[in-house]
Amino acid sequence: MTEMKWFFSFLKKYRGRLIFATFLVTIVSIIAIVNPQISGIVVDDIIKGGDHSKLPIMMVIMIVTTLLRAVLKYWFLLIFEKSSQGMLYNMRDYVYRKLMAQDFNFFNRNRTGDLMSRMTGDMDAIRHFVAFVTYSIYENSLLFVIALVMIFVADWRLALCMIAVMPFTIWATFLQLKEVKPAFHNIRKRFSSLNTFVQENVSGNRVIKAFAKEDYEIEKFNRENDGYREAELAATDIWKKYVPIFELMANALTVILYLVGGIMVIKKHMSLGTLVTVSGYLWMLNNPLRMAGWLANDYQRFVTSVEKIYATVIVEPRIFNKENAITKERFAGEIEFSGVSYRANDEEILKDINFHVKPGETVGIVGATGSGKSTIMNLLCRFYDVNAGEIMIDGIKLKDLDLHSIRSNIGLAMQDVFLFSDTIEGNIAYGRPDCSFEEVVAAAKIAGAHDFIEKMPEGYDTIVGERGVGLSGGQKQRISLARALLKNPSIIILDDTTSAVDMETEAKIQKELKALDGEHTVFIIAHRISSIKDADQILVLEDGRIIESGKHQELIDKKGYYYTVFHHQYGDFEQILASTRKAGGEIG
Amino acid sequence: MARNKYDVDESLETEFNLSHLKRLGGYIKPYRKDMILTIILMTVTSALGMLTPIILMRIMDVYIPNEDIKGIIGLSIIILLIYIIISVALRIKITLTARLGQNIIHTIRSDIFEHLQELPFSYYDDRPHGKIQVRVVNYVNRLSDLLSNGIINTITDLFSLLFIVIFMLAVNVRLALICLLGLPLLMILIFIIKKKQRLAWQISSNKASNLNAYIAESISGIRVTQSFTREEENTDIFNRLSGEYRTAWLGAVKYNFLLWPAINNISTWTTVAIFVLGVAWINQGVDGITAGVLIAMTGYVGRFWAPVNTLASFYNSLLTAISYLERIFETIDEPVLVKDCEGAIEMPPIKGEVEFKDVSFSYEDGVPILNKINFKANVGDSFAIVGPTGAGKTTIINLISRFYNLDSGMITIDGVDISKVQIKSLRKQMGVMLQDSFIFSGTIMDNIRYGNMEATDEEVIEAAKTVRAHDFIIELERGYKTEVNERGSRLSVGQRQLISFARALLANPKILILDEATSSIDTETEILLQEGLSKLLANRTSFIIAHRLSTIKNSTCIMYIDGGKIDEMGTHEELLEKKGKYYELYMSQYKFLEE
Repeated sequence: MTEMKWFFSFLKKYRGRLIFATFLVTIVSIIAIVNPQISGIVVDDIIKGGDHSKLPIMMVIMIVTTLLRAVLKYWFLLIFEKSSQGMLYNMRDYVYRKLMAQDFNFFNRNRTGDLMSRMTGDMDAIRHFVAFVTYSIYENSLLFVIALVMIFVADWRLALCMIAVMPFTIWATFLQLKEVKPAFHNIRKRFSSLNTFVQENVSGNRVIKAFAKEDYEIEKFNRENDGYREAELAATDIWKKYVPIFELMANALTVILYLVGGIMVIKKHMSLGTLVTVSGYLWMLNNPLRMAGWLANDYQRFVTSVEKIYATVIVEPRIFNKENAITKERFAGEIEFSGVSYRANDEEILKDINFHVKPGETVGIVGATGSGKSTIMNLLCRFYDVNAGEIMIDGIKLKDLDLHSIRSNIGLAMQDVFLFSDTIEGNIAYGRPDCSFEEVVAAAKIAGAHDFIEKMPEGYDTIVGERGVGLSGGQKQRISLARALLKNPSIIILDDTTSAVDMETEAKIQKELKALDGEHTVFIIAHRISSIKDADQILVLEDGRIIESGKHQELIDKKGYYYTVFHHQYGDFEQILASTRKAGGEIG
Repeated sequence: MARNKYDVDESLETEFNLSHLKRLGGYIKPYRKDMILTIILMTVTSALGMLTPIILMRIMDVYIPNEDIKGIIGLSIIILLIYIIISVALRIKITLTARLGQNIIHTIRSDIFEHLQELPFSYYDDRPHGKIQVRVVNYVNRLSDLLSNGIINTITDLFSLLFIVIFMLAVNVRLALICLLGLPLLMILIFIIKKKQRLAWQISSNKASNLNAYIAESISGIRVTQSFTREEENTDIFNRLSGEYRTAWLGAVKYNFLLWPAINNISTWTTVAIFVLGVAWINQGVDGITAGVLIAMTGYVGRFWAPVNTLASFYNSLLTAISYLERIFETIDEPVLVKDCEGAIEMPPIKGEVEFKDVSFSYEDGVPILNKINFKANVGDSFAIVGPTGAGKTTIINLISRFYNLDSGMITIDGVDISKVQIKSLRKQMGVMLQDSFIFSGTIMDNIRYGNMEATDEEVIEAAKTVRAHDFIIELERGYKTEVNERGSRLSVGQRQLISFARALLANPKILILDEATSSIDTETEILLQEGLSKLLANRTSFIIAHRLSTIKNSTCIMYIDGGKIDEMGTHEELLEKKGKYYELYMSQYKFLEE
């Protein structure tokens, strides 16, 4: 039951308050027992007995106790609700932090919709439990026990007869808990699945429309929607067996009371008065038994959700700071890869990568799609750990460095641009939320984004859609570039960041970037030779290996892979050059 | 509408709108029979339930004093039978109400989802996706309580309330009226808090939506967050939203909690009033009021307020549900701007002649994107569109698929105005490869097959071979059966582009649209890809947007777009001859070699 232990750790903070609230529940329950007695006195003594002198005082007691009960109940309801919200707030914080600290592999394995379900639907089941089910269970047990004690005091033989149904109820509760558990697990699974499906459908809306696959999506959705309904109904099928049994057990008490009690009165084993008294307590026994089935349900729903959330947070990130990790404010930017290999799912991504970069150098990386270019950068940011070899920054092993230090020193403009639904300013300032507006503009200017941002109706205050929808690919890339530059990192990684930018703009960006030279170590992954031509060293990757490296001219002279690429992109250059010169044109 | 972000509340509708309830009623209608059956069942059982106190009374008053043990046993058996019937009825009720509730939820969810499929890009672009998702999944679930037990219990309770009032009036009109006087009191309270309560629930649903949107983005954008070490700040934002939700929730439930104590007190006051006045009237010898009447009356008062209590809790959950319901209906009511016109015909099999006639377009009024664009592509032509980012290149090709409506002008395919044909029949014949290549979670095979569900495995592989994706796919651990997820995070962007390329090809389109389809693909692969494509493209019309000019050099026609206008149009050679903007663009890529 480690899950429950984990859950209770969140309640600890509210223990005092919850105990107090439980005390209030006790008082309210006792008042609930007292009130009918007063009514009884009024009926017996005042109305039947004709003793009207007691009337005013009884009326005052009735009004006051009701008011007191109402106030106390309102009070404890709020305490339970506040505590549940408080603990939920803490739990959400805990789960969120856990997610933030998870490694990339975790997010590759878990679907967004599933994780979202943990944070929403499952949390709600816990809220319901703490705010409602806990005190309901207590209240009902309390009433039940008090009634039982009273009946024992009145007549123990009668009490024993009435207890006779108890084992059946307990047994049924036990059976129901057991049987309904997989059903609830299934509901949660279906819910997650539905959530994931809808989430993807919303994210992929463009592709769906482009392929006119709406009908197909609806068909798929119907399966998810049906599945969720069937799961809910399957659970209903289970508790519909039990709830009527609880109802019958509860009602059976009435029959037992009157049958056994009646016979006992007739046999003179018990007075009629005692029977009347005991029947007054009957509702206190009935109601808890009736509720047992529902509460068992709610309890199991809650347990399922706790288990689901716990299973998500218990996974420890594989990438974490080692003890006494070295923190460093700013790196010089010297980077070394020695014998680095990386595998994912038995698939070799990188093999024996070796290179050394001096501070302030620019490194160009080219290579075929899937040759491992981005992976090198992901390893440098320590999003994944190497399987063999060593990466060093400023002569310190990557694994010895504090993760935060590494990543805050690297400005990464990713290949797959993700923008948040926020203003453009907010997106550019993502890495440094407290920087000034001027700094944002300066970064945007270097990235060649300023001009088009200015042209937008709301300029830097324009809210962009999630993932930057509404912007063109080139615009997104430039915002992402500005975002990376604003960090003023010692290492800048541009992972195919200008692929969708037109060439003139790229040339400008290149120029601006060059002006930064010297202070930053820069990695440029690109397919266009123009992007990397001036790099201090160029690495050519193929199937996870470095097959060529050197400066542009060296690689051209080598007449290898790089040369071929160059030739394909610029092969007709000479010819063009010749033709334009002939025509007397000017270049550049 | 201005775009919405995670921490901006959506606009609130202030008036309590009865039409929402009416509409909800429409969803219940198909299950009328089940509902009536359940209500009859419940009414009968509650009537049976009312019998038992009478029988018990007889045991106490007659059989015990008469020492009639056989009679007691007999009556006990009858009561037991009644209880068994009640239990069986309960079982049926649970089955029926659960089915009713789940079916209605199922229908509402289908409606909102199907409508979402009709909504244009702009709907999705204008708000965080988490906010759309929360409506389809979480909000709809919030209705389940109301719809399963709520409605049926309410109707049953209304019946029992009616019975009791009749009983009370029959026993004594005066005393009954005293009891009924409590109702206006309750109404006043409800009236006073209603506005605040409703607003509080609306705020709460809004805050839930904000939180949800932020969670969704946090998870989708985790890679950026970690690389920018924004975890702390994000946690702060998250906690702020989470705290706002907590406050809003507590602010709303505190009104819900008010009802029960209020009813409890009012019921006590009416009981006290009945006691006091009743006793006084007995003393005065008022006609028809006796001790027996008074006792009977107090019994009924309890029975009167119990259903009122459940009605009040129904009212509470109704107010809560309405705040979700109105969001759901709002989405269902979102107008579909791009839709089939009346009498739209099915697009005949496309040959591939595309013509723009004076096409003007703007996303927002007053901000023109395209201005009187004219061009004609013949069957089999390949049209390249170049120009600075933000010039309107993507817009042009989006218009061919009719993702948006034109401001003016006309687009025809094979001479047919595309605004006059069924949208689906049009899009089904086009292969579009978007800038942002989205990969669904599933196998690579499934992802490619998305372009044509009927395609065999061999055809899928054939398409993958054409775009040169086959080689890397078979190198993966499980080949075509490799599970990829949502953003395709196991694949590089270039690989994702190849897969979506294969997907577009598999659709066997007559018009192929490639928007930056190969921007992340290396030149070598691209050349191989183009060789494979050239055969395929022979009798298809294609539109290509690319920044790598080597990709488009051989196009039939190149258009240079700037500022929403076609500046230049012609073949590569013609445009170079012209020494205009294209020439400059083309030469700019060689500039660096000159340095």
